[in-house]
Amino acid sequence: MSLYRLENIEQRYGGKTVLSIPDWSVAEGTITGLCGPNGSGKSTLLRLLGFTDSPARGRIFFRDRATDIYAGNLRKKATLLPQESYLLKRTVYRNIAYGLRIRGEKKNQRQRVAQALSLVGLDAESFAERPWYALSGGEARRAAMAARLVLNPEVLLLDEPTAGVDAQSAQMMKQAAADAHFKNGVTLVIASHDLQWLEDICTDIFYMFDGKLLGKGTRTFIFGPWEKTGDNGALCRLADGQVFLAENAPKDPAGAAAAIEPEELSLHLEKQDIPPEKTAVKGILVRLALEKHSGRLRASISAGHTEFIVYPDPKSIHRKGFLPGSPVWLAYTPQKVKWFGKERRP
Amino acid sequence: MDFILQGLTEAFRLLLAGDEETFSAVAATLKVSCLSMAASLALGLPLGFLLGYLRFPGRRKIRMVVDTLLSLPTVFIGLMVYAFVSSRGPLGEMNLLFTLPGIAIGQTILALPIVIALSATAVESLEAGLRTTLLSLGAGKYRLMTGIMWEARHAILAAALTAYGRVMTEVGISMMVGGNIKWHTRTITTAIALETAKGKFAMGIALGLVLLMIAFAVNAGVSFLRRK
Repeated sequence: MSLYRLENIEQRYGGKTVLSIPDWSVAEGTITGLCGPNGSGKSTLLRLLGFTDSPARGRIFFRDRATDIYAGNLRKKATLLPQESYLLKRTVYRNIAYGLRIRGEKKNQRQRVAQALSLVGLDAESFAERPWYALSGGEARRAAMAARLVLNPEVLLLDEPTAGVDAQSAQMMKQAAADAHFKNGVTLVIASHDLQWLEDICTDIFYMFDGKLLGKGTRTFIFGPWEKTGDNGALCRLADGQVFLAENAPKDPAGAAAAIEPEELSLHLEKQDIPPEKTAVKGILVRLALEKHSGRLRASISAGHTEFIVYPDPKSIHRKGFLPGSPVWLAYTPQKVKWFGKERRP
Repeated sequence: MDFILQGLTEAFRLLLAGDEETFSAVAATLKVSCLSMAASLALGLPLGFLLGYLRFPGRRKIRMVVDTLLSLPTVFIGLMVYAFVSSRGPLGEMNLLFTLPGIAIGQTILALPIVIALSATAVESLEAGLRTTLLSLGAGKYRLMTGIMWEARHAILAAALTAYGRVMTEVGISMMVGGNIKWHTRTITTAIALETAKGKFAMGIALGLVLLMIAFAVNAGVSFLRRK
């Protein structure tokens, strides 16, 4: 049984559709990652999953029951940590105890608050009685996280939890999220630009663009801007001046996104190794890592600030001597590039 | 200049001696202003919340009307309330003319737009993340409203203080609806107006000092609440 099931969901702000999801589900006990550029609809989707906003159209089912944002019991099962963590104008203790007070859970309140603070690396003795304005940005974000963890939710929705905080706070947030899942079985849905973290922790990663879910799995997205070339093609100028080519482009590709599957990319040390029918871009092998949930070797190649994902054959990596830092060529077929976005060629 | 200094000296003497006429006006003022503030806060705070929080068609027009009512002249309110509560008016049978509750009705009308407009502004100016935060922590509709009002408490206290200042210092309503009846509906401001007209500056200054002291006490109370 799915924990969440979304049917024909649409969300509109000011008459503009900002989210459109025909069908999507989240399984219980999983960690789902959402990534995509700013404005792609990640926060909007999380607000719907956290029952803090109602969709303009469609239905959200939680354990097969249709939901309503003011159905208190449902909202007590899922809690959202918004991107802009807002602390109520009161002490840290009262901020964290607020959700417990709403639930009427007065027993062991002080211990529970202290425990939640310790989960995010804040010492209860020195932080509990501080007013909301006496915290740094990172401490405020961690206190806001503690206010969610203290509730022992079934679902924890994190919107850019590590954005704009120092490295220590970011590490604490990641650890607290992982503990919530692995120790308490909390289902996590995380929106983040930290792709490496998502790939390390998530069961599934979904890409979002222009209010749509583009599908599950690791693939490289090139968000443009795209320029039309000829009848059918388009090119994207990477930051280092190289061009990435794609065929079957939409009529107006400027605002569209293109993606290429890892299986459609091959890795070469020398340009002469590239098959003649393929196109290539030059990059640097920045990371070789074992993908925990699939057991595959994943290579990340940076070309003009775009990070391409490839699953190379471990034997060839070993044989040819690929090492992080090696200059490499990424070969691909422009016809294999897939298009996503507002307009597609019929 | 001498008559002002003499007036001040006499004023302190009247206050320290517990002059009954002076304290009767003070009591009437406190009674009527407390009544009108209780009514205007009870009505104005929920309405201000709704006006500041909800987005509905016609909201901006309502806001414009409320803002316009901020500058309602007290004599006009006095006139309208007089018309309603006089024996020929629709509320004539309630015998509210020349009574303290009658003045309180007029002062409530005076304070209500201030409470509504300033509390709506206070709610509007809260950060957008507050609603999401309260809902994500499990707040229902009632907790959402009280939570938002609590977050806006400093601005709402300032709204109440502004309204209280206007109510305490108005003359028109008290004079027209209350009739400035000695021992009965004479308030501090109507007493000051009358005593000054009679050339009795001492009592006028004494009452003015009491007004200032009340304003100071209210401000000190609000300042204490803000620190809480």
